[in-house]
Amino acid sequence: MRYYLIVIALLGLLLESCNSGNRCYDSVDAFMVSSFNISGFNPISTLLVKGVNRNDVGDTLVNDASSTLTKRYPLPLSLSADSTGFVIRVNGVSDTLYVRHTMILKLISENCGFAPNYVLSGFRYTSGIDSVKITDKKVNSLSTAKATNDQNIIIYFSAAAH
Amino acid sequence: MTRILLSILALLLISSSPVLSQTKGETWRYEGPRIGMDISRLLLPIMQTAKRNGWEIQADIPYKGNLFPTFEMGMQWYDDKHDKFRYKNNGSYARVGIDMNIVKFESLKDHDFVFVGFRYGYSVFNQQTDSIGTSNYWGSINTSLSRHPMNAHWGELVFGMKGELFPNFFLGWSLRAKFPLSVTKDANIHPYIIPGIGKTGGGTPFDFSIGVYYRFPIFRSKTLPKPLKMGGAKHPGLNNGTENDQYNQGGNNGGYQNNNSGY
Repeated sequence: MRYYLIVIALLGLLLESCNSGNRCYDSVDAFMVSSFNISGFNPISTLLVKGVNRNDVGDTLVNDASSTLTKRYPLPLSLSADSTGFVIRVNGVSDTLYVRHTMILKLISENCGFAPNYVLSGFRYTSGIDSVKITDKKVNSLSTAKATNDQNIIIYFSAAAH
Repeated sequence: MTRILLSILALLLISSSPVLSQTKGETWRYEGPRIGMDISRLLLPIMQTAKRNGWEIQADIPYKGNLFPTFEMGMQWYDDKHDKFRYKNNGSYARVGIDMNIVKFESLKDHDFVFVGFRYGYSVFNQQTDSIGTSNYWGSINTSLSRHPMNAHWGELVFGMKGELFPNFFLGWSLRAKFPLSVTKDANIHPYIIPGIGKTGGGTPFDFSIGVYYRFPIFRSKTLPKPLKMGGAKHPGLNNGTENDQYNQGGNNGGYQNNNSGY
């Protein structure tokens, strides 16, 4: 009995010293998955998205020149402000969209650290945008894993303006 | 604290008294409360990357030979520095429960046993996170989450062994599966380590502890504890405790006396 007692105690000590590793396998980036549509099934030929007041090289978030009915892109939200503004240029016509949100930092895991978690609360936009619909107000690191026909918001542009 | 120290001193004095001290040649079975320390807690700082310090004391007392009501208490300090945050978690905890011996004692001097048991645990702790850094397209932030007092309740299933290496000195180990019952909620961070439970990320937390114990031999007896009956079918014709039952007989047939308890 004492043989087992001592051997298992030593094996247990070895087990205790094992480290599960410190690699991060999860994403810590939170993006608002956004769908872009023109009312009346008109195609979007060109789509360009930038942050408001972000005009430097490399500030373009989306630059898509392929013609489709619906486009879907993940957009980053501000970490420090309670609203985020985007300049959205569809078929050569620019509009501005402001998204209001709250944010808390949430621990993803010991190895990955914290990720922002947002809750969308409202919008403000210019006249070329018809409406904005929230389909999922929670934006977190899992949002980009949504199915291809799912998103956080759908932006409908006015057919007359575009 | 003074009371605890005085109690321990009194136990030491009683256990070293000539009446109850173990004398060569006597066939007494000595029992008593066992107090010890989980040495694996002391080794954690050198075995793990995070700064994890702590201590734990454990005590049990035999009840009806094979049952050991148990009390454990301890403290833990955890300081985990990562590239993008620093997490601190400090607190204390206590557990109560019972262990049950599942093997037969072979002789009066045999105190080695294998046990299964359960515990109920309660922990009071606080957590704090500093230097949380994150960045994206819009810039970066560096923030902290202030100290948050929390508590946790949990249950444990325990399996282990204890053996007497030298007279009254025991070594023991236990493997524990822990089942958190409730933990204070925190919107930002679910504690990934809880004093008394350990790391909580991913499935049922398991823990392995190694303890060294001293038994205060203040009770003595010439009776070997009866093995616990585990149920199951009784087979006709087999021993029903009337013959050759060394645990139930008096001193005439080579069994152990059961009328000479020193308790």
